[in-house]
Amino acid sequence: MNRARSETLAQSAAETELELITQAQQGDRRAFGELVRCHREGVVNVVYRLCGDVNLAEDAAQEAFIRAWQHLTSYRPRSPFRNWVYRIATNVALDSLRRERETVDIDALPLATSDEGPEATVESKERGERVRQAVLALPSASRAVLVLREYEGLSYREIADTLDIPIGTVMSRLNYARNRLRQSLAPYLEVL
Amino acid sequence: MTQHVTAWLGAYHDGELQGLRLRQVEAHLAHCATCRADLESLRALAALLQENPAAANLTPPERFVAQVGLRLPRRPERPAWQRGLEIGWQLVPLGLLGAWTFVQAVLVVAGVVLLALQMGLGGDVMAGLWYPELVEGLSAPQQGLSLSEIFNLSEASLNDVGPLMLQLLSHRGPLGWGFTLNLVLTGVIGLLYWSWLASWWARRQHRQRQVQQHIRHLHKLNS
Repeated sequence: MNRARSETLAQSAAETELELITQAQQGDRRAFGELVRCHREGVVNVVYRLCGDVNLAEDAAQEAFIRAWQHLTSYRPRSPFRNWVYRIATNVALDSLRRERETVDIDALPLATSDEGPEATVESKERGERVRQAVLALPSASRAVLVLREYEGLSYREIADTLDIPIGTVMSRLNYARNRLRQSLAPYLEVL
Repeated sequence: MTQHVTAWLGAYHDGELQGLRLRQVEAHLAHCATCRADLESLRALAALLQENPAAANLTPPERFVAQVGLRLPRRPERPAWQRGLEIGWQLVPLGLLGAWTFVQAVLVVAGVVLLALQMGLGGDVMAGLWYPELVEGLSAPQQGLSLSEIFNLSEASLNDVGPLMLQLLSHRGPLGWGFTLNLVLTGVIGLLYWSWLASWWARRQHRQRQVQQHIRHLHKLNS
């Protein structure tokens, strides 16, 4: 019963999104606004994890949505709309990072702010911050692969399509990123 | 002991291995403590990475959408000819129905006219309609004659200037030209309609496939 209900809801959501995409492709700004609303958080987070700055992430996310709007007629629903926008957002973020510097100067980045309540321990916050900095210290190419895999759950094929690289490169970059992180986060991994 | 499978552990952890490679890695893991420890370390790293906080203090959704909306450049809408083509495509069945109705109406009217002519009814009117110059050239007693009688008077004129439809319909084939013409035109219109219907069905199926694909993607994302 619940399964049937969830399938119906999923079908309805998919049809709604496809309908919004079709309308936006025909120039409907309101429909595109709905798509932006649905994917805003995911896109901002992808860019945030790539560049480490909320303001920069929001600017890049807006830029990504604007590019998406400009190229919307070329989108075909063979791949999820979310992945298509991620692809644009990743390229925007990597472009801006490339322009500035190859690797982020993590000391210059603002500390992440959190809305966690008083129950969140200082230790947990510190660990989270250390993880964030370790991720940001990765080379941008490996970071992009890691973010799409670990935080957005994309498959290797989807990552390859998103970044326009071979699957073998996805695997090697992911292995490299994980090995680097295992070294830099070794003290925290031992505790776990 | 077989060679370590370190290079494949990441893909194994991500569920990306299949077939022979998957079985090789599983078989190796069953008896290699080093690789099992490596896999555990990957799992621990994945758990630790989730402690990286997501972006906080984001711009409220409404404001973000409004800001994007303000920065959206004007994108040319679909060209008018494309929209016209789409509307035209939707109206094809109506057009075909209209064409079929028109053909039937023409054939029925022509049939009635022919029947009337064969029965010698309304000869003057018909003659006046089709051959006014012929009727005007007739003397008063002759104007009372039926069309067939007039045609007898001027058979050459009929052969030269008679309406094509009338000639076709009055031709004595095995079933008559009218019937054949009706059959051919109805067949062509029917064929066009079925082609349109097949195209409509294919488009609908394509759309449903897209929806199903989208649902699979959403399921995958949710899981």
